[in-house]
Amino acid sequence: MFVIAHGIVGRTDLPIPEWLFGWAAAVVLVVSFVALAVLWPQPRLQDGGFRPLPPWLSRALTNRVTDVLCGLIGVGLLGLVVYAGFSGVQVAMANFASEFVFVVFWTGMVGVSVLFGDVFRAFNPWRALGRFVAWISQTAAGGEMPAPLKYPERLGYLPAAAGLFAFTTLELVAAEGSKPSNVAIATLVYSAITFVAMALYGVDQWSRKGEAFGVYLNLFSRISPWTSRDGRVGLRKPLSGLAAWKPLPGAVLLLAVMIGTVTFDGAAEAPIWTGVAPDIQDAFVSLGLSPEHGLEAAFLIGEMLAVGLVYGFYRLGIAGARSVGGDLSARELANAFVHSLVPIAFAYVAAHYLTQLLYQGQSMIFLISNPLGDDGTDFFGTADRAVDYGVIGATTAWYWQVGFVVVGHVAALILAHDRALVTYDKPRLAVRSQYWMLVIMVGFTSLALWLLAQSNG
Amino acid sequence: MSNRARAGLIVLAVAIVAVAFIALRPSDSSDKADDPAGNAETTATTPADDGAETPTATAESAPPPPKEITLRDGTPQGGVQRIEVTKGDEVRLQVRTNETTPDEIHLHGYDIEKETRSGAPANFRFKADIEGVFEIESHTAEDAGKEPLIARLVVEPS
Repeated sequence: MFVIAHGIVGRTDLPIPEWLFGWAAAVVLVVSFVALAVLWPQPRLQDGGFRPLPPWLSRALTNRVTDVLCGLIGVGLLGLVVYAGFSGVQVAMANFASEFVFVVFWTGMVGVSVLFGDVFRAFNPWRALGRFVAWISQTAAGGEMPAPLKYPERLGYLPAAAGLFAFTTLELVAAEGSKPSNVAIATLVYSAITFVAMALYGVDQWSRKGEAFGVYLNLFSRISPWTSRDGRVGLRKPLSGLAAWKPLPGAVLLLAVMIGTVTFDGAAEAPIWTGVAPDIQDAFVSLGLSPEHGLEAAFLIGEMLAVGLVYGFYRLGIAGARSVGGDLSARELANAFVHSLVPIAFAYVAAHYLTQLLYQGQSMIFLISNPLGDDGTDFFGTADRAVDYGVIGATTAWYWQVGFVVVGHVAALILAHDRALVTYDKPRLAVRSQYWMLVIMVGFTSLALWLLAQSNG
Repeated sequence: MSNRARAGLIVLAVAIVAVAFIALRPSDSSDKADDPAGNAETTATTPADDGAETPTATAESAPPPPKEITLRDGTPQGGVQRIEVTKGDEVRLQVRTNETTPDEIHLHGYDIEKETRSGAPANFRFKADIEGVFEIESHTAEDAGKEPLIARLVVEPS
C-alpha cells in the first residue's frame, strides 16, 4: 500500500514533454557559455545603489499607522488560522487554516517577496506580537528593559533551517499534516518556540536571524529591487540585495533545505521514489511500525536524503572551485557563493508551486466568506464559489515553469560571476572558478527540469 | 574580447536557439506517440455483465466504450490506472464495485461525485475541458484510513 499524503490537490501538472525538456536544457547550456564570454569584467552588483522614493511617498508607505495596521492584519490572520484549524471542518481544502498556510502564505508570499521586497517583515505576526509585548512591558516597567542575550554566532541559521525543515516535514511527510487541526497545533507550537526565543534574544534579532519564515522570505525579497534603508523606502538594482547579504554560519544548510525539500516534493511523484518508497516502508513495518508510520519514516528519509544531496553537491562544486587556486578556505568560498543559490531556490518554488497557487489560491474567494467550511456561513456572498481549474492550460503552465527555471539559472550565474570578480584578485582565477560554479548551476537547473519532466510520471 | 564580438556572440546564440526551437517544435499530435508506457488507456475490462448501458451514440460519431475501473473490496483491480484522454474528449467512465454498501467516487478538479455499489456502477460522463492530472478517489476507503486513490485521469492538451 502506498498513500501519497497530499491534502491539497485538485489538479496536478502534466510532465513537460521531452522536446521542451531537451530545448530548455539546450537553452540553459547556450546561455551559460555565452554568459561566460560576455558578462561584465567589473563587479556591478556589489554596490546596489539606492534611490529613495520621494519622502512623502515613503512616509505614506511606512509610518506608525501602517506599521500597526500591518501587524494587526498579520496577528489577525494567525489567530484565524488557529481558530479555523480547531473549530472548522477537518477537510484541508474547505478550511481556511490549511489553504492559507500551505498555499497563500508558503508559496504566495514567496512571489510577493520577489516582486515587492520584504513585505512579510511588516506583517510578521510573531514580530508584531513581540514588539507589542515589549512595548507594554517597557511602559509598565517605566523605563529600560534588560538587554537581550547576544545571539550565539555559531547558531547562525541553524534554527531557521530547522524550522523550515519541520514545516516541510509537516507538509510533505506527515500523513495528516494538512489536516486543519494539525496545522493549528503546529502554528501554536511554532509560536510558543518563537516567543521564548524572542524573549531570550530580542524581538528584532530573532526575527532577522532565527525566525524561519522571516529569514526565508527575507532571502527571496533580496531578489527584488524594493528595499528600505534608514526608514526610507527605495529602489536598488535587482539581485543586489543578495550581493549585500552577509550570510551567517549554516547558510549553505539553509539553502539546501530550501532547494532539497522542493526537490523531494517533486521527486516523490516520480518513479524513482514511488519505486523504492514501499520497500523502505516495509523495512520500517518489519521493525514494528504501523504501515502509516512506516510510510512517514520512509518519506522523512527521502526528504533528508534530498536535502543531503543538494548540500553535498554544492560542497563538491566548492571543493572544485577551490582547486583552481587562490587562498580561500572551503568555508569562505562556500559562504561567498551561497547567495547565488537563492534565485535557484526561487526557480524551484515557482516552477513547482505556480499552478497550485493559481488553483488553490482561488480558494480564498470562498474561504473568506466561510473560513470554517461549515454549512450556511456566508459573510460576503462568495461561499459557494469553487476553484476554476481551467485558469491556465497545461502548455502555458509548461512555458512558465521552464521560464522560471531558465531565468533563475541566469540570475544565479550573474550573481556568482559578479562575486567571483571581487573574491579573486586575479581575473584568470575568477574565470576558472566560474567553470565550477557553472557545473553547480547546470546541475541544479537540470535537476529542476528533470523534476518537471517527472511529475505524475 | 571586443564589444562587437560579444554582441555578435549573443545575437548568434539567440538566433540558433530561436531557429532550432521553431524547427523542433513537434506538431500537436506527435508528442503523444513516444509515450513509453504501454499501459496507456488501460481498459481492465471485466465484460459488461449486468447489462450496463451500451454506448448510445448521441454525438456525431459512435463514442468509444466507457473506461472501466473495477474495485474489489475497495482496491482497484490491476492497480491504479491512468486514464488518458485528450482535451475536448467526451469521457465516459464506469466504476464498479463488489461491495453492497454504497461508495462515493470523487473525480477531483472536475469535482464530480457519483455513488457506486454492487450491481449499480457509477457512470461518469463529462467533457474533458480542463488539462492536467486529476485523482479519482473512493471516499469509503478514505474514511476507513485506506489508500483512497483508485485511478488518475490524465487530460493531455489537444
